Amino acid sequence: MNMQRISTISKYIRKVCLAVLLLLLEHGVYAQTVSVVNGEVRDAQQQGIPGVTVALRTSATTAIVTVSDINGKFSLNTDQSLPATVVFNMVGFNTKEVKVKRSGEQLIVTLEENISQLDEVVVTALGISRERKSLGYTTQELKSRDLSNNKESNLLNGLSGKVAGVRITNSQGDMGSSRIVIRGETSIAGNNQPLFIVDGIPVDNSQLNVGGATRDFRNAVADLNSEDIESLSILKGPNAAALYGSRAAHGVILITTKTGKGQKGLGISVNSGVSFATVATLPKFQNVFGQGSNGKFSYVDGKGGGVNDGVDESWGPEMDGRLIPQFFSNGEAVPFVAHPDNVKDFFKTGVTYDNGISIAGSDEKHDFRLGINNQTQKGTVPNTEIKKNNFTLNTNYQLTKNIKIGATANYVVTDAPNLPGGPSGGRAAGVMLQFLWFGRQVDINELKNNRDVNWNNSYYSNPYWNTYYNTTSQKRNRLIGDIHLEAKLAPGLDLRLRSGTDYYNDRRKYKIKYGTSGTPYGSYAEDAYTINENNTEAILHYNRNLSNDFTLDALAGFNVRNRTYENNYQKAPRLAVPDLYTLTNSRDALTSSNSYSKLRVYSGFASAQLGYRGYAYLNITARNDWSSTLPRSNRSYFYPSVSASFVLSEAFNWKNEVLDFLKIRGGWSEVGSDADPYQLATVYDFQTAYDGNPIQTSSKKKLNPDLKPETTRSTELGLELSVWRNRIHLDLGYYNTNSFNQILEIKTSASSGYTSQLLNAGKINNHGVEVQLGLVPVQNGKFKWNVNLNYAKNNSEVKVLDYAGQIQNYTIGSSGGVEVLASVGQAYGALYGTAYLRDDNGNIVVGANGLPKADPQKRVLGHYTPNWLGGISNTLTYKNIELSFLIDANVGGKIFSGTNRTGNYTGVLAQTMQGRDAEHGGLFYYYPGNSSSASKTVISGSTAPSGETVYEDGMIFNGAYADGTANSTVISAQEYYKASYNISEAYIYSATYVKFREIKLSYTFNSNLIKKIGLQAASLSAVGRNLFFIYKDAPNIDPETAFNTGNAQGLESLSLPTVRTIGFNLNLKF
Amino acid sequence: MLKNIFILFLFATLFTACNDQLDKINENPNATEHPLPAYLLTGSEKQGADLYWGSESNFNSSLLFVQQWAKIQYTEPDRYDVSNTDFTSLWNTGYATLITDLNTILNFTDEEANSNYKGVALALRSWVFQLLTDAYGDVPYSEVGQNTTPAYDTQREVYLGLLSDLAEAQSLLSTSGDAIDGDVVYDGDIAKWKKFVNSLRLRIALRIADREPELAEEAIVAATTDDAGLISSNTEIFQFIYTSSPQQNPASAWFETRDDYRISKTLVDKLYELSDPRLPVYAQLPSDETVNEYVGAANGLSTSEANSQGFAKTSKPGTYFLTSESPAVIFSYSEVLFALAEATARGYITGDAEQLYNDAIVASFTQFGITDATVVAAYLAQSLVKYDASNYKKSIGTQKWIAFYGQGLDAFTEWRRLDYPVLIAGPSTVLDGEIPSRFFYPGTEQSLNGISYQAAVANQGTDLLTTKLWFDIE
Repeated sequence: MNMQRISTISKYIRKVCLAVLLLLLEHGVYAQTVSVVNGEVRDAQQQGIPGVTVALRTSATTAIVTVSDINGKFSLNTDQSLPATVVFNMVGFNTKEVKVKRSGEQLIVTLEENISQLDEVVVTALGISRERKSLGYTTQELKSRDLSNNKESNLLNGLSGKVAGVRITNSQGDMGSSRIVIRGETSIAGNNQPLFIVDGIPVDNSQLNVGGATRDFRNAVADLNSEDIESLSILKGPNAAALYGSRAAHGVILITTKTGKGQKGLGISVNSGVSFATVATLPKFQNVFGQGSNGKFSYVDGKGGGVNDGVDESWGPEMDGRLIPQFFSNGEAVPFVAHPDNVKDFFKTGVTYDNGISIAGSDEKHDFRLGINNQTQKGTVPNTEIKKNNFTLNTNYQLTKNIKIGATANYVVTDAPNLPGGPSGGRAAGVMLQFLWFGRQVDINELKNNRDVNWNNSYYSNPYWNTYYNTTSQKRNRLIGDIHLEAKLAPGLDLRLRSGTDYYNDRRKYKIKYGTSGTPYGSYAEDAYTINENNTEAILHYNRNLSNDFTLDALAGFNVRNRTYENNYQKAPRLAVPDLYTLTNSRDALTSSNSYSKLRVYSGFASAQLGYRGYAYLNITARNDWSSTLPRSNRSYFYPSVSASFVLSEAFNWKNEVLDFLKIRGGWSEVGSDADPYQLATVYDFQTAYDGNPIQTSSKKKLNPDLKPETTRSTELGLELSVWRNRIHLDLGYYNTNSFNQILEIKTSASSGYTSQLLNAGKINNHGVEVQLGLVPVQNGKFKWNVNLNYAKNNSEVKVLDYAGQIQNYTIGSSGGVEVLASVGQAYGALYGTAYLRDDNGNIVVGANGLPKADPQKRVLGHYTPNWLGGISNTLTYKNIELSFLIDANVGGKIFSGTNRTGNYTGVLAQTMQGRDAEHGGLFYYYPGNSSSASKTVISGSTAPSGETVYEDGMIFNGAYADGTANSTVISAQEYYKASYNISEAYIYSATYVKFREIKLSYTFNSNLIKKIGLQAASLSAVGRNLFFIYKDAPNIDPETAFNTGNAQGLESLSLPTVRTIGFNLNLKF
Repeated sequence: MLKNIFILFLFATLFTACNDQLDKINENPNATEHPLPAYLLTGSEKQGADLYWGSESNFNSSLLFVQQWAKIQYTEPDRYDVSNTDFTSLWNTGYATLITDLNTILNFTDEEANSNYKGVALALRSWVFQLLTDAYGDVPYSEVGQNTTPAYDTQREVYLGLLSDLAEAQSLLSTSGDAIDGDVVYDGDIAKWKKFVNSLRLRIALRIADREPELAEEAIVAATTDDAGLISSNTEIFQFIYTSSPQQNPASAWFETRDDYRISKTLVDKLYELSDPRLPVYAQLPSDETVNEYVGAANGLSTSEANSQGFAKTSKPGTYFLTSESPAVIFSYSEVLFALAEATARGYITGDAEQLYNDAIVASFTQFGITDATVVAAYLAQSLVKYDASNYKKSIGTQKWIAFYGQGLDAFTEWRRLDYPVLIAGPSTVLDGEIPSRFFYPGTEQSLNGISYQAAVANQGTDLLTTKLWFDIE
């Protein structure tokens, strides 16, 4: 909204300047007239643009120049002979060239707005609009068009690859959460995600109950509707965000929603979209051998009654059509054949419908915008759905000449009757868990048609049973809104008051049906959260020209922040009767827990920007917080920042044919941060009482009564350069961030008395570079090609953990035996686990049994943090058609893959085919006397001594015995692929990938044509996202996937496949 | 400017007043800083029983190693194909829950907890330390809870420290002292606690007997001559009796949802060989009625070999052990008698070793409900059962192994110490024919307490399953 106002003001300024210019020009430009060129310059809304420089390109060094008038009209008189080229230049718009053929020609020229232009006004901290050139730090802004057309159901995913230094990982399939980190992890233990601010209101982006949940619940910012967003500013790092204090150490994402300002008449806008999702990264399965073990299988009851029928692995007989009783055949021997798509066929095509309408209007006193949007997403996992309804109201009213009041309200109802089961869903709900243990011969249609039967009854229920009966629902009701007042107290001085809230409750219901394998009585649980954050703020803002040379823009303010969190959980561990999901329908005492927390922070802050002649700027901020979460003596903490910007091209008047703009910037800042509530006094928890005797026990976490605030200090330097009429625009940035006194919950040896302790410890350094390069390789009247490149490299190093120097490792998380560590002297996110035991020559040591040995000493197996991230987007515009595509890359970093670990163990993956039979390189062997406890004897051909059974799946593990001689012991393929299950090193892969992230084709209907049918504008677009990998190393998984939104990244475990989507979107404006 | 200063001043005054309010906001409403000794005691008993009888330390590890149970699927632990993430709960629960809670009681002022609470806490803490050192060897003991990276004490130091702790526990406990609440094992009966303390001294003294015979003798004499006496009947067994879900027996809870374990073939064969009347208590008949005899599953098979023994054709552990209310036996009367028999055989105390040995077997029979005198007499009369004075380790080792059914950690320790019965590693085990002699240290010790860990490894030997602990001489 501030943007809008600034642009209105600047329009006025332009008009005034213009009048002066025109007066001057009237006398300046006259000569022998040969040709006359008249015309009008308009913007996209067909309004005349005043002040456009109109030049006739000539062979002479001086061009013939004029400027368009208040209505955008212009007239050029020249002695130049035609045809010639007329060039239109205007800050904020793309340069346009038009050929003139004859004198007297009437030119109607439409200029396109250029959003990446340099005099652009951007929204900065606290919603203050500033000229981009005045900033001493980096921000990057995305406009509604960059966000709304791609229709990602999670807003964050739409940012992938578009902003330098921003890393986004989404965790589970098409419905899960997404994590965003700007410029690497600066906090060892805490949340590393940026703060989200919507129209001045901090909004919560928690992913509640990450660890204990069976599903990957969506992060809270996914509630926002991209259609409502006018612009999204990314304030990277503490320099940009210092004014926000504590929570802004990891950057801020500042969202401004659309308003009705400037809307003439009733503006009705309709959008309608549909998109289709299909699974993109399913593992590659083998289709030669079916369920069983050692080549044997026969079904009786699916839990060990037959031959290996309780085994949920595919080391069974060849699927060559031999006759074997199977789970659906009632004991009859039926052909044992492969069903290559038995996993793929479980998944459906996901469909998302997105429909919205908004109405906006304004006059001198009022403006409003009302929007309604419905999104219904049906997932790729059967019976999964999320419905989201957004109701948005944004109004302002000019109460008196000097006082304006307004309110915003964003009410969101997210209702998911069932979410897909993630890896922690266990056997009762996990989707990929079952499929990575799935018999390769299983016909999924037999399971689809009868949910009461299953291929294995030892561990699993039918996958359709799981997804239709063992459901987890989530319903979130959320209100984000504020009331605000702006009062003009004196010229240049105004007061802003705002009180905003983000309130939501999130209720989840977990149902496990009676008769589910492993949970014979079923269970039912309810988990309810209520989160509320209120911020009330008063800001005095002063803005005036101190002299002809100096400008001052200053503010001082005060904020009170209150946050409460409440959770109630109750579970009926075993149901009394089937299919009744109430907490009272329980055989046992309910298990329950609840918690409540509250915090309050008072903040006083001030900032000032001093400008000199429009090319030199100094920015200073200061803030002091008083937080309830810290002990009295450390409660108050102060932090300042200073930054400067210097536009060399203007200061030294370097502007010429080549150079348009050159600016250097730099800054230093400090941000403090408080703790979570209740981290000062060690407590004892209650547990379910035993037979009338209450139980108290240590919380296993030693807290710290002397906690100090965390501090992050950051320095950044940058350069912006624009040449050849903005055909090339370069933004280079360097930053160096040190975070120390970090509040760490350090995992400690239990022998310390606690499994973790809260310490003020740790120092982590992040430094890196960011490059953004904009190119316009081709630009003429009809065709334009834009290229945007971004590149970011972040280096992190954990310098210190505890200042006593006792602790060398901080455990961030773990899975499958791999710990993710912050290790002193190393990059953040070391993957620490079991490696192969190796001899001095680097050979893997094998035992006498031919199996590899694990090194008792665990090792760092890699780091999850990437070497660099990059993205390249191309936009091709021809008349009304725009085609854009985006490729992004994540280079370096490692990932531990639980999918490959499990799939190798179970023999379902295609990569386990090597050596499994003679055709795939297996060796022939037999057991003397056909005794499987005898050692295997290799034979060269397939003929063994008479009477001996010959096997053809012999393999030799590449390694050496303890004495250094090469391993020659033959093992079966089954033994081979299981041998490394407990050796994490075997399942560490490079996380490098290059993704064809997005392709978008849009068509804007000709406005003249549209107007005839009563429309103001109409556009149609088609978007494809995550279509394919151009390159990746890790087999069978999407290396971008993660567990959850926490810091324990680099671990993959049986995650749902990611999806590719193709969507279509129609926008109409009345 | 003046205005700003005024505002700042106003705020400053305001904040002084607000400090109290902010303190109040940060008072944790969810838990207490001040626990009660009775509630900590109930918790320690319950969580200690869960640990001792639960899957990770018991039936998915030690009970398999000592071949009382066997796995019929997912046989990795039965094949000793385990990693250093597999033995963490004994360590973490042992230290961070049990020892920390018990230390909380010990650190209470006399007003907060009377000396009987402290005696009970010290006794229970000694038991937990004993489990830890039995399983891992050198473990942190003297520096526990004092810093973030406690040094490890040698196993010798731990056992000797425990003997002196238990002597102190005995002096803290007084039958004429103040009553304690929350004791769900002995219901506050201090006389029984005093007996448990002496019994535990006896157990630990025998642990060091092969290494430090004189110190062992001294401790045993002290324990057996103490006025309070020893556990002296099956009604004085130290055991935790479970109730119903969610407080049901952990083995029972496991079998309710999964089917992974059978009684071991080694044990079933031995019980058949001895015509042992405990067999129908220890095992169920296979669900396939055509089998009609007890069939154990072999240890150390590959999953498919184990599987092919037939889920329906092999015996699950007896229902005695698998009901919701089944007890977790921690110290039995028969163990006291076996210990006295051994102490006598070693010459530490005077007495009739054979009689004590027979009494121990009878006590075990009684514990499992076998009281028919003729059955008992017939059993004891067998030459295979008869006490062999020339090899007391064999007689006591074998019978203790049978009597300790279900008490995996102690059965495993006694088997390592007495070297009987002779057990043979299964065909698909991965330790070159050996059976584990200890647990791995938790893998997290390498990352979290690396220097202390390395020192312990340097003293004790590589952190392998086959490394012999100090008490365990050949």
